[in-house]
Amino acid sequence: MRAWRTVVAVAALSAVLAGCGDDSSGGGDSAAAAPAGPWSFTDGSGQVVKADKTPTRIIAHAGEAAALMSFGIKPVGIFADESVKTDPNLKNLDLTGIEILGEEWGKIDVEKAAALRPDLIVGDWWPAEKAHSGMEEGVDEKSKKLAELAPVVGVSQGKSIVALADGYEDLAASLGAKVDSPEIAANKKRFEDSVAAFKQAVAGKADLTVAAMSPADDKVYVANPEYAPELLDLQSWGLKVINPASPDPGFPYWENLSWENADKYQPDLILWDGRSFTATANAEWGKKQPTWFKIKAAKAGAVVAWPAFWLHTYGDFATELDKLTEAVKAADPNVGA
Amino acid sequence: MSAPSRYATRTAPRRARRALALGPGLAVLCAVLAVVAFLSVTQGSRSIGLSDVLRALGSLDNDGSITSTVTLELRVPRTLLGILVGAALGVAGAILQGVTRNPLADAGIMGINSGAAAFVVFAITVLGVRGVGVYVWFAFIGAAGALVLVYAIASLGREGATPVKLALAGAAVTAGLASVTTGIVMTNVDALNELRFWQVGSLAGRYAPILVGVAPFLLVALAVSMFFGRALNGLALGEDVARGLGQHVTRTRAAAFAVVAVLAGAATAACGPIVFVGLVVPHLARFICGPDYRWILPYSMLLAPIVLLLADVVGRVVAAPDELQVGVVLGVVGAPAFVAIVRYARLSEV
Repeated sequence: MRAWRTVVAVAALSAVLAGCGDDSSGGGDSAAAAPAGPWSFTDGSGQVVKADKTPTRIIAHAGEAAALMSFGIKPVGIFADESVKTDPNLKNLDLTGIEILGEEWGKIDVEKAAALRPDLIVGDWWPAEKAHSGMEEGVDEKSKKLAELAPVVGVSQGKSIVALADGYEDLAASLGAKVDSPEIAANKKRFEDSVAAFKQAVAGKADLTVAAMSPADDKVYVANPEYAPELLDLQSWGLKVINPASPDPGFPYWENLSWENADKYQPDLILWDGRSFTATANAEWGKKQPTWFKIKAAKAGAVVAWPAFWLHTYGDFATELDKLTEAVKAADPNVGA
Repeated sequence: MSAPSRYATRTAPRRARRALALGPGLAVLCAVLAVVAFLSVTQGSRSIGLSDVLRALGSLDNDGSITSTVTLELRVPRTLLGILVGAALGVAGAILQGVTRNPLADAGIMGINSGAAAFVVFAITVLGVRGVGVYVWFAFIGAAGALVLVYAIASLGREGATPVKLALAGAAVTAGLASVTTGIVMTNVDALNELRFWQVGSLAGRYAPILVGVAPFLLVALAVSMFFGRALNGLALGEDVARGLGQHVTRTRAAAFAVVAVLAGAATAACGPIVFVGLVVPHLARFICGPDYRWILPYSMLLAPIVLLLADVVGRVVAAPDELQVGVVLGVVGAPAFVAIVRYARLSEV
């Protein structure tokens, strides 16, 4: 069970970078000329990680790899939480020449990784678990040995997805990438426009409440904004995202509701975990679980794929935010009343 | 002439007394089970007033309210499933312990659950099968296959299938099958999602369709299993004695294993591997009934669902609005019970 919950939230960090391939390919292959060093970077955990020379052989978790690649830094190895063919982080990215070290959460081929002679491992830092991606509690003990191959750094999954994107820009810069290319600037601009549009849409729906949810076979999960940077961002931009009353103490990313309590929250719009959302998912769950449609918004079909994936670049976030903006504009603020 | 009759007068009243007490004991257990079932319908992670529950039960018609939906569509099927699966696990454990003369035998330890799980995963990934009605067949095949394998491995060597060798073979097969399952799942995300069912046994989230899927198998197998008492009593005296009593040992074993495969396979198909019930309950029954399997079997059939439903209710109430899976609750209770059995049980008595 614990493993499953871990999968729910942690697989999420591998982020659907939906429809953003063209944005994230910006930057070209300019990273080759890394400065000689010495190198240092302040990890999400607060520790300063140092090296005698600037790392060039990088192994990264999927979403983080996508972020680095958007700045033109090509990792030598990637570990993903699902097949790299379906992992939305890696959509439209050219992975030729990159060794794939894992395609399931918690399972990394450390022998293969060692053969790559990495000098840096990159994975998000998770403050609630005090661990980097790939080394959380619940993963294969063997995969944790990845951390012994090279220093591990990551940006914190903290209070804002914007800070996360900024953090990877800093990391890329420290590794010698050009972070001021016109494409990157264009993505930043696009992101700022998206935020402005989102704020405007939200302001027009003052009474609208939303809940970020993920229905599963044995229970319903309600995301806790406190540990979901993108939900904190949405809140700071005015969207009323429900804070669940009693998140799981051991794994506070979610409040777990038994199916008997599926209707505990009555939002006007359900932000549906993007990893399990399909066009027919709402109808299927209504059929499968007798209490799903006791949530009025579900019954009314007021559901939208939530960018529940901890996005790593401005371009990706802009694309997802635009979809959410449309859903907010179309939502009826009286559904859950 | 006088000696045998004196022997008879000394033992007959004792036997009669025990039977007299055990018969009504079954009725008492039925009553307890009814009470626990009532608890299971009225108590849960959602607090529903008794009057609302009774109204829903009285009309048996879902009026669309949340209380009615939860009572009739979630709790009633869940309770019925708990009763059936519990009975199946208890009886399967009792038969396994009897037929192998192994006090530590249960469907989990004997590799049956992992066999069922492995075949279900195989069915999902390789054959693209969906739905518990189909799983159940693969669970049977897997359960039966694992059982045969464990018994065959344990039978190697001179002493045959001793309790220790059966436990070791069961552990080995369980480990082997678990790695096969993991191997398949690693390459298939769909299978991973489906496998979550199997990781910890649970009654949650599997309701009416599952009940309908497995009930026929479980009911038939439970009925058949009640006729195994005498044969198990014979086997309990040892293979040679059983043979001397005119039993066909191999045939009895094969029939008993077939029933166990159906019981444990269907239970696993419905709820995932729930261990400990099948291990602990037969010992509890043996403690009450003595060594006579004609009583141990029905007592196990009633005691096990009582234990399972109680654990399920506890898991629902203590964690509300969340739920603990029944497998977790049972693990907490069952692990110490297991240790106690290993340490204190007089293993030769089984």
